[in-house]
Amino acid sequence: MTDIPLSRGTASARLAAPGWLYLPLLSLPLWAWTLWAVPPDGAVPVLVASAAALAALVVLALSLNRRERRVRELTGEIAGLRADTAALAEDHLPRLSERLRQGDSAETALHRVPAPADPGGRAVLGAVAAQIAAAERRRASAMVACATAAGRVQALATTMLADLRRMQERHGDGVGSGDDVLGDLMHLDHSTAQVGRIADSIAVLTGARSGRRWGRAIGMESIVRGAMGRIGDYRRVRVHNVCTQAVAGFAAEGVVHCLAEILDNAARFSPPTSEVHVHVEEVQAGIAVMVEDGGLVMGEEALERARRTVESGLDLATISGTRLGLAVVGQLAQRYGLSVSFRSSSRGGTAVVLLLPQKLIKPLPRPRVDRTPDTAAGIAPPPASASPGTAAEADAGTETTPPASPTADGARTAETGLPQRRRGMTLAAAEKARPAPADSGPATPTKGFGAFRSAVRGQDPNGSSKDA
Amino acid sequence: MSRSHRQEGPDRLYVITSGRSAGADESLDAVTLIAAESEPAPGMQSEHAEILRMCAAGPMAVVEISAHLHLPVAVVRILLTDLLDSGRVTARHPRPAPSPATPLASPDVLEKVLVALHNL
Repeated sequence: MTDIPLSRGTASARLAAPGWLYLPLLSLPLWAWTLWAVPPDGAVPVLVASAAALAALVVLALSLNRRERRVRELTGEIAGLRADTAALAEDHLPRLSERLRQGDSAETALHRVPAPADPGGRAVLGAVAAQIAAAERRRASAMVACATAAGRVQALATTMLADLRRMQERHGDGVGSGDDVLGDLMHLDHSTAQVGRIADSIAVLTGARSGRRWGRAIGMESIVRGAMGRIGDYRRVRVHNVCTQAVAGFAAEGVVHCLAEILDNAARFSPPTSEVHVHVEEVQAGIAVMVEDGGLVMGEEALERARRTVESGLDLATISGTRLGLAVVGQLAQRYGLSVSFRSSSRGGTAVVLLLPQKLIKPLPRPRVDRTPDTAAGIAPPPASASPGTAAEADAGTETTPPASPTADGARTAETGLPQRRRGMTLAAAEKARPAPADSGPATPTKGFGAFRSAVRGQDPNGSSKDA
Repeated sequence: MSRSHRQEGPDRLYVITSGRSAGADESLDAVTLIAAESEPAPGMQSEHAEILRMCAAGPMAVVEISAHLHLPVAVVRILLTDLLDSGRVTARHPRPAPSPATPLASPDVLEKVLVALHNL
């Protein structure tokens, strides 16, 4: 603000009368009287002294006059600035923000508003316009993003409701078989999983947490399959996984969601006949998951935009409204310290590499460990130590419903043909020696084994009903 | 269809079966014994590998595999059909049980009875 020229108020100062110059004029008669009064012999020194005093008086009057003019200038300038500021606050800024809210760009809005003469005021107006424009853009894109996501949820929910209605009609007649029911339920499960992902995306974009948390580390295979299960075209995804590590429970849901969004992008932006390949490998820095699609090659510009979207995941102004996926990926990557990189793929499409840092990696928990208490408390002995046939029989014989008993007896009858019925390897060797009979027995109702399975699993019987 | 709480993971059944709910080998029933014919290969789906590991010790019934994998029988039958098709396991079907409709249906048994009667 120091380089603002002092142009304001000078005109009024020039009009002011040079008041201080009257002082030496008033002292002029006094000087004349002194010349007349002094004796002629002392006239020269007195004259010189009084002339010097008069000159000093003139100089003093001139300097005082200049100072007063300067004060007037500055006062006028301050008044002008005050008026400008008032106009800026009461008139210019409200008009500017109104223009911006109506959707004008910052430049257009600035042109429509009268610019203040003061460069400082102009700078203030420009900065405010830029800020308001950015805020408006952010607000508008956030609204569009939320609306898009909500629209998708609604569409999927509508589909689900229609499906449910059809299923109710079909199974209400009682003609459906077990496989149909399973298929329908899987279908429903799939739709629900996708609804869940979109709801999670909204939650992540609005800064909330994802829906669930896992109490234990989740293996990479489950992570990838969990992500596949949340997208529409999961059948096109091919997984190449040799990784035996797991992701810590607190981050598992985030990683699943992040990967699901990447897979969804890959499946959505590639031809519906092409495959999406997922390679999981352990690297020095952690676990690298590479998702390759066979879609269009993203140009350098598009790749750069995708990188920017992921990097500025927190900035809603960069979301383009319909494409929420990468913003969600960016948010999750920032939250869990994942690194996401894009490049063109050797398969002709785009490759996205998601790198999970070492701090998220845990060794895979062995599922067998928690099975031991089950088998100890339950009825069936561990499979390696005893004949599975014996276990099934013992269980079926002691506590199953009548329909299962003949089948269990059938199994025993088949085994009575052996020279010696012993468990483990003897049975295996004998079974291998005998050619498998061509005719199969009657299909066994699996319902009868619900009790057995529940005993091994330690939960309520819930076997799929496949009535013969 | 609910799996036990402890075993629950983010992967869903339809992903495990690649979207199939039917198409399993019709001859596979709950008490069919499954014997492994090969070792689990790296990169295999973990359920397939687990089945091969379980059956390596000795033949195992389908219902038991289902119980140990914490998966429904119908899903296990689909997985087993994959393994059967690739020749990694073989299925041993139980003989039909003697029932009021077909008493002593097994020709083996009848033959043994005949031999025993001859020997008397």
